Amino acid sequence: MGIVSLCSMFQSYQKESFFDEMFAAERGEVFPHYEALLERFDRLDEAEVTEKQRRVDRGFLEQGITFTVYGDDRGTERIFPFDLIPRIIPDAEWQTIERGLTQRIIALNLFLHDIYHEGRIMKDGVIPEDVVKTAAHYRPEMLGVDVPKDIYIHICGTDLIRDGEGRYLVLEDNGRCPSGVSYLLENREAMKRAFPRMYRHYGVRPVDHYPELLLKTLQHVSPRPGQTPVCVLLTPGVYNSAYFEHTFLARKMGIEIVEGRDLIVLDGYVYMRTTKGLVQVDVIYRRLDDDFLDPMVFREDSVLGVPGIMDAYLRGNVALANGVGTGVADDKVTYAYVPDMIRYYLDQDPILENVPTYLAWREDDQKYMLENLARLVVKAANESGGYGMLMGPTSTSAEREEFAAKIKENPRNFIAQPVVSLSRHPTICEDHEIEGRHIDLRPFILYGEDVEIIPGGLTRVALRKGSLVVNSSQGGGSKDTWVLHR
Amino acid sequence: MRLRVFHRTEYHYSAPVSDSVNEVRLSPPDTRWQTCEYAFLSVLPACRLTHYEDLNVNRVHRFEIPRPHQRLLIESRAEVITRPKVDFDALPYGFLHTDLPRCRFLEECHIHLQDSGYIERTPEIWRQALDIQGDSADVFQTSYAIMEHIFRNYRYESGLTTVSTHASEVIGNRTGVCQDFAHAMVALCRAIDIPARYVSGYFFDATRDHHLRGSEASHAWVEVYIDGFGWIGLDPTNNKVVDDTYVLLATGRDYRDVAPVTGTYYGSGKSAMQVTVRVDRLPEGSNGNQPGAEEKAATPAVASVRGGR
Repeated sequence: MGIVSLCSMFQSYQKESFFDEMFAAERGEVFPHYEALLERFDRLDEAEVTEKQRRVDRGFLEQGITFTVYGDDRGTERIFPFDLIPRIIPDAEWQTIERGLTQRIIALNLFLHDIYHEGRIMKDGVIPEDVVKTAAHYRPEMLGVDVPKDIYIHICGTDLIRDGEGRYLVLEDNGRCPSGVSYLLENREAMKRAFPRMYRHYGVRPVDHYPELLLKTLQHVSPRPGQTPVCVLLTPGVYNSAYFEHTFLARKMGIEIVEGRDLIVLDGYVYMRTTKGLVQVDVIYRRLDDDFLDPMVFREDSVLGVPGIMDAYLRGNVALANGVGTGVADDKVTYAYVPDMIRYYLDQDPILENVPTYLAWREDDQKYMLENLARLVVKAANESGGYGMLMGPTSTSAEREEFAAKIKENPRNFIAQPVVSLSRHPTICEDHEIEGRHIDLRPFILYGEDVEIIPGGLTRVALRKGSLVVNSSQGGGSKDTWVLHR
Repeated sequence: MRLRVFHRTEYHYSAPVSDSVNEVRLSPPDTRWQTCEYAFLSVLPACRLTHYEDLNVNRVHRFEIPRPHQRLLIESRAEVITRPKVDFDALPYGFLHTDLPRCRFLEECHIHLQDSGYIERTPEIWRQALDIQGDSADVFQTSYAIMEHIFRNYRYESGLTTVSTHASEVIGNRTGVCQDFAHAMVALCRAIDIPARYVSGYFFDATRDHHLRGSEASHAWVEVYIDGFGWIGLDPTNNKVVDDTYVLLATGRDYRDVAPVTGTYYGSGKSAMQVTVRVDRLPEGSNGNQPGAEEKAATPAVASVRGGR
């Protein structure tokens, strides 16, 4: 570990009591993989930083790399704030993450196969049947159905955080429609433009082959082997918060982006309407929740879906990625059981640990939760994006009472976790002060013929001082994430 | 060498079978020559996996599927770092046939000098082994000659032998696949008191035209015991001293001890098996072979200012 003389920008940086990604201790003792970065930033002055930031932001805006905030009446298109200081992960650390995630996705896929077939993990008493069957996204329609290549979660976004000791912990799995990969790819492009020389010399593992890997993952499950599979991306439409990402990925993969009304089901096969007539579709990368997929089976008021698509899917004439019913794995109560799943199916200890989790439907846990609300984070089992949660330490007593009532009313639906003091990373804040901000990491895992994880992931930053919520809808930003060759 | 292995075994039964009990030996162990970075095993229909270590210190995973099923799928994914086993300029010559009797008293050799299920020592095998040995006094030299003899004189052909073909048959017909070649070699070695054991595993075909045999499924070769060196691998199917392109899975007296997948079930349905094995070489991340890494050291951006501790 080197000691670097801190000039200008980092001079007043306070590590405080958190695990800091860059500094091992106070007074500039820096982790070796950050040394060269620090040198580079020390040679920058404020004007240069402003200029680089301005150019990057303008680039994002011009390309329309924006997202939508629901429940906000003012202009809803915003750029995802981008921080110029990249997060760096050394090779050895990444290898552990990669292994842990591979182990996890294998276990999750076995679990989904199991619960929609024999349910042995429930019969053996490892996971209570109640938990699975009462999960909001459990789909009895999938019972006994064999999905193509037995893969349920083809694309998974698993959120990782680091605790006060720097240990990586899994916060949640997103096995339905994980988003954010387009920001990851665009952040890299922005970073390359902002610091071309430093980037080239740092030995960063590339990420730009992601669309290619994604396409391979989709093609792998085509029901018509031997022919070039026709893959499409099914989007809910322009009003979806991730619409930019949908167009981005479709364009990068060279496949069509379609809305529900562009597809039609005839005689158990799915066709796409084109200017040259109907074209049979083999694989649908759907960025649409199960609920909206097929008005004949799920929500009948859905105008986003395709009537009859489930029939084609159940007959094996079309593949959906991700599969239907994967939401059970996203359920935060199921999450608490993933380490047990790994032990059960793989006969191994989990490589990446979970955050300790209390389940309100267990009596003891609930008692503990209600007594300690002010010290816990309470989350609804099936909400995402930072909605529907209670941050104990910063909550008002009225909020706590409200949650206590909710927990008692519907214990199945709530979990609690201790507040993990997420690791912090130096981040350029207002007035170009560099301050520590809490971060997480969402790597993207592809399960096709092989399990592939592009190096790194999307690092999200809670830009508000002291905030632990990194979601873009709650004032989060992002950083480029560099995994080094060594 | 960093190698990634994908091994998939799929059984289809023409009618539902039940009460299936299975044992698999698919986890590469850590040895002097290899480090297993990870090994993940997945079984469908999904079920609980348990493990134990057998008498040959192989890791065995066990699982049971009591309910009727028509398909069984076993997938293994592993990443292994292998190290060069042998220095080809310093092969382990110098252990003499006259020193062999002391191996009989070594715990790890004793069982590998006896007959076993698929391997018995007949006078005919002993005669052939002596012919191959000729006037060689060196154990490694003789072992190498036996390997070469099999490679040159035996025909590699699948479909003529089964998983339960005995070594004596193979030596009689001089035909078979890697399993048979390995059995034959073990028999010939043991016939003249060279401790020899059967090894299952994989190898990465690094040749430009991929001419090596046996890379499409799990492979088998032989290890002989050289006092002072330990077990050294010889691959009679490819006439090669085992190097860092090989990944070891399990060792034993013969195929029966190391079979990657064994099991029983009730049911009259016909079973069909399909095996896929892929071994890929991965870039060695931590060795810094990547171009970017060297450039980094040369750039002035990182020079000096390092305080040191």
